[in-house]
Amino acid sequence: MTRKQKEKLRKVLFYFVLALIVIYLLFPFYWAIASSLKSEAQLNMTPATLIPRDPDTGEISIFTRNYRAVFANGGFIRGLVNSTIVATSTTILALLTGSFAAFALGKLRFKGKAPALYVILAMTMFPQVTVLSGLYAVINALNLSARVSMIFTYLLFTLPFTTWVLTSFFRDLPIEIMQSAQVDGATPFQTFHMILLPLTAPALVTTGLLSFIQAWNEYLFALTFTSIDPSARTVPVAIQFFSGEFARQEPFGEIMAAAVLVTVPIVVLVLIFQKRIVAGLTAGAVKG
Amino acid sequence: MATSSSSNLAKEEQKLALKLLIPAFLILVIIALYPLGQVFYTSFTNREFASATETEFVGLDNYQALLSITIRELPPVIDEETGEQAVDEESGEVVFERPIRVLPRDPHLYRPSFEFSFFGNKYVVGARTPDFIRAVWNTLVFTFFSVFFETLFGLVVALVVNSEFKGRGAMRAVMLVPWAVITVVSARMWEWMFEPTRAGLFNMLGDRFGLIDGSYSFLSNASLQLPAIIAVDVWKTTPFMALLILAGLQMIPNELYEAARVDGASKIRQFFNITLPLLKPSLAVALIFRTLDALRVFDVFQVMLSQKRYSMASFNYFQLISARQMGMASAIGVIIFIIIFAFAILYMKSLGVDTE
Repeated sequence: MTRKQKEKLRKVLFYFVLALIVIYLLFPFYWAIASSLKSEAQLNMTPATLIPRDPDTGEISIFTRNYRAVFANGGFIRGLVNSTIVATSTTILALLTGSFAAFALGKLRFKGKAPALYVILAMTMFPQVTVLSGLYAVINALNLSARVSMIFTYLLFTLPFTTWVLTSFFRDLPIEIMQSAQVDGATPFQTFHMILLPLTAPALVTTGLLSFIQAWNEYLFALTFTSIDPSARTVPVAIQFFSGEFARQEPFGEIMAAAVLVTVPIVVLVLIFQKRIVAGLTAGAVKG
Repeated sequence: MATSSSSNLAKEEQKLALKLLIPAFLILVIIALYPLGQVFYTSFTNREFASATETEFVGLDNYQALLSITIRELPPVIDEETGEQAVDEESGEVVFERPIRVLPRDPHLYRPSFEFSFFGNKYVVGARTPDFIRAVWNTLVFTFFSVFFETLFGLVVALVVNSEFKGRGAMRAVMLVPWAVITVVSARMWEWMFEPTRAGLFNMLGDRFGLIDGSYSFLSNASLQLPAIIAVDVWKTTPFMALLILAGLQMIPNELYEAARVDGASKIRQFFNITLPLLKPSLAVALIFRTLDALRVFDVFQVMLSQKRYSMASFNYFQLISARQMGMASAIGVIIFIIIFAFAILYMKSLGVDTE
C-alpha cells in the first residue's frame, strides 16, 4: 500500500467512526422529533414508522398540533423564562465562587488544602432526596422566593463540580506564568484575574456549559420548591404538569414537542460558545 | 532577611487563599450544613413525614433494620420414596427448601433478598429490608457499567472531535445534544422506545430484522431492566465525559506532539506516552464526578422502573414520599453518603489525585 492509499484509508475510517458517533448521539433525539410530529393514532401504529405516516394510506403526514398546543400553553413559555433565569444565575455564581476557590486550591500554598477539597466534594455525596426536607426548612427560615431558592440550592451540585474541575486546570498551568507575573510586580490577585483566568477560558466555558445544562435539567428540587408558587416552575416541572388536551391522559406527543423545543436553545448556546473552547490556548504562553 | 521576606510572602499567600475560599464556604454553610446535620439527626429517630405522631429517639434501630443481613444454607429437599434429593420434574433441577422456611422470624422477620449457589450448595441472603440490599446491588452494577462505557465512549468522541476536520464546530454542538435533553423527558423518550409492542422502536427494529418476535418487554423483564437503564444513562452522559476530556485534550500543548513527530513516534505511541499521562488529571476529576453522580442515580430509575426495581436514591425517595418513613429515609441517606465517601477516597488514592 502506498502512502497515499494509507492516508485515504485512514480518512475513510475516520469519517466512518464520525458517522457512527453522530448516529448514536442523534438518533434517539431524531426519534423524539419524529414522535413530536405524530398524532395519537400515529404514535400507536404498529409497526412504528421512522417518519410520521398516515395510519390508513401510509402517506407521509406531519402533525403539528403538538407544537401549537405547547406554544398555547402559558406554563411552558413561563417555564422557559424561569429556567433561563435560574440556570444562568446559578452558573454565574458557581463559576465566580468556584474559580476563586479553585485558584486558591490549585495555585496557592496554604494549610488545610486537602480537607477543604474533601469538604467541598462531600456536598455532592448525598442524594438530593435526602437533603430535600432540610433544605426546605432552611428556605422557609430565610424566607426565600422559589426562584432564589432554586438558584442557591443548585449550587449544591454545581459549585463542587466547578471548583474541582477548575482546580485541576489551574494546577496544570505552568508555575512560570505566575512567577514571571510576580517578577513584573503583579499581586497574586492580579495574576489570577488578568493572566490565569483568561488562560483557563476553555475550562471555564466547559464547566459553565455543563453546570448550566445540569441546572436546566434539574427536576426534584424544582418540583418541591415551586409547589407553593406555580408561576416559578421551570421547564422540566412545567412539562410534567402538561395535562392532555387530546385523547390520552398523558400527552406524549406534546411532551416530545416540548422536549425538542427546550433542547434547541441549548444547542444554539453551545454553538455560540464552542469557538471559545479553542485549541492550544496555553501553547505559546510560556516561551523559553 | 531573605527568609523573613519569603515567609511574609507565604503568609500573604495563605491570607489570600483564605479570602478566596470564603464565598464558597459561606454558601456551603447555608445550603449544606443545616440540611446535612438534620439528616444525621433524623436518622436516629422514627420521625414520620407529614404526620402528627410524636417523634422518638430510636438510636441505631433504623440502621439495624436496613443493614441486618443473614446468610443461610438452603437444605436440599429429600424425596421420601427414594431417600435422595428431589428433582423438579419440569426443569430437571434439584429442589431446595424454600427460603422462607430457613430464615429467622423472631425477633425480626428476615425476607429473602437473593440466592446464590456455591460448591453445589445453595444459600439465601436474607435481610430485614431486602429491597434496600437489592437497591445497593443494583446501584453498584449500574455505576460500574455505565461509568465504564461512558468513559470509553467519551474518550473516543473527544479524540475524534479534537482532530481537524470540516464541521468540527457543529460536531461540538451535536456532541452535547443527549446531555441537553432534560433527564426526566429523556427517560420518557427511552421508555417509549422500549415499548413492549411494535409501537416501540426497538421491538419494531428487532422485528423487522427478524431478531426478536416484536413483543419484548425490556422494562418488565428482570434480566433486561438494568441493561436498558444503563444504555439510557450511557447515551445521556457520554457527552459530559466527552466534553471534560476534550477540554483536557486542548490544554495539552501542541509542541509536545510536534516534538514527538520529529522524533518519529507513531500516533499510537503518542497517545500512550503523551495524551494519556497528560490527560490523567482531568480524566480523574471527570471519573470522580461521574461515579458520584451514578451512585446517586435517581431520575432514570424513578421514571422508567419506579417500584419495579430501585436504585439507592429511588428507594430513599420511596421511603420518604410513599412510606413516609422520614427517619428511615434519612438513615438510607447517611448510608449512601458513607458508601459514596468510601468510593471517593478509594478513587482518589488509586488514581493518585493529589490534593496538596
